[in-house]
Amino acid sequence: MKRYMVLILNFFFLAVSSNLAFAEGVAKAEPLQKTIDLAKLTGLNYFFASWYNDNMWLYAIMVTAIMGVIGLVIALVTDIILKMIGMEVHKMEHHE
Amino acid sequence: MFDMFNVYLPIAEMQFNALILVAIGFSVGVLGGFFGVGGAWVVTPALNIFGFPMAYAIGTDLAHIFGKSIVATAKHRKMGNVDMKLGLMSIVGSVVGVEIGAQNVMWLTKLGIAGPVVRYLYMVLLFGLGFYMLYDYLTKDKRAAVQAAKVAEAARAGLDLPVRKAWNLPPMIHFPASGITISLWTVTGVFLFTGWLSGLLGVGGGFIRMPALIYLIGCPTAIAIGTDLFSVLFSGAYGCFTYGIKGRVEIIAAVLMLIGAAIGAQIGVTAVKYIRGYGIRLLFAIMIILAGSSVALKQFELTTAAAWLVMTAALGMCAVIMIKLYNGFKKEQAEKAAYAGKGGA
Repeated sequence: MKRYMVLILNFFFLAVSSNLAFAEGVAKAEPLQKTIDLAKLTGLNYFFASWYNDNMWLYAIMVTAIMGVIGLVIALVTDIILKMIGMEVHKMEHHE
Repeated sequence: MFDMFNVYLPIAEMQFNALILVAIGFSVGVLGGFFGVGGAWVVTPALNIFGFPMAYAIGTDLAHIFGKSIVATAKHRKMGNVDMKLGLMSIVGSVVGVEIGAQNVMWLTKLGIAGPVVRYLYMVLLFGLGFYMLYDYLTKDKRAAVQAAKVAEAARAGLDLPVRKAWNLPPMIHFPASGITISLWTVTGVFLFTGWLSGLLGVGGGFIRMPALIYLIGCPTAIAIGTDLFSVLFSGAYGCFTYGIKGRVEIIAAVLMLIGAAIGAQIGVTAVKYIRGYGIRLLFAIMIILAGSSVALKQFELTTAAAWLVMTAALGMCAVIMIKLYNGFKKEQAEKAAYAGKGGA
């Protein structure tokens, strides 16, 4: 009996989700390429936007490199801070 | 009052509150570090709900995931939770699988049923995985008792326990970090399958790979998390680069989110130390059932409710993880103090 109940419940969930999946909304179209107006930008904003306008490949490389470097720096700094407050980690045993 | 934290985002060409970006980054960082996932299923709707354009939400999210994965993987590696060999194999298998999945999507698009099929599969996967993990958690004691009874009975009868059936088709590979020996074909098949699913659904795949590493490969939970994050690091780097070329990464927003996420990831990873494997699985199961409910709400065109649900679930889970970390840390400190006291006496 329990098995049949599980089976019926599964069919119910599969049927509900299939009905939901076919209830589709309409997406709004957006332009794929754009140029940023640099006139009102200064400093870092100007720097990033001008790279964006000039060469998208270099912009992509710069973004990836910046993310990597910031990730590494923050990993290092927060590790030092956590060590200072006694939350340092070592190799752990794996308990399930 | 919070307007003073508004910053101008030059690529998206809009004002946005920096505090919101750091807060979203922080909460998804905690979840990512703890569960070993990228967390795009939380960030994208969360950004969108606060008015961030969808076109930039995905690319910006992937960029911050890359930076965050570096932080979390480095820390998991220190804790001995990253199986490099398995991680590298997962990357190779996933790339091939993703390509097959993408081809299937193209075929489904030609038939005009890609949208519904993908959404259906996504919901079935989230609910199926969530309820299975919940069932696994709830029955663990019963299974342990049955196994113990079998061992006792075999010992009484003076017999060896029957060996569990496994597919041992050579060549067999040993993964010392995970402590498992498994057929190359099993590993390849699992990663092809998880890659295929992530290619078909258009997701990073962390939430598929992590349970697959536990249930199909046999990794300890903490190693599954660390190894999955190692794979997420590579997919995040590729995602960041490719969306960058398409001009869909808002760099200022990504950096702000990364600051929050990196701190959150440190907290999430440290919490793994204080919670047992099954505890992590239970929290993960709850989280993906809530994520599945959010997708279902979206299908009813209740987009705002769906985004709020996933965001509230993420914040709630974040609070649970931080409380567990705090309690575990206090307990550890008390044990250390007691040990030092005994030593001094």
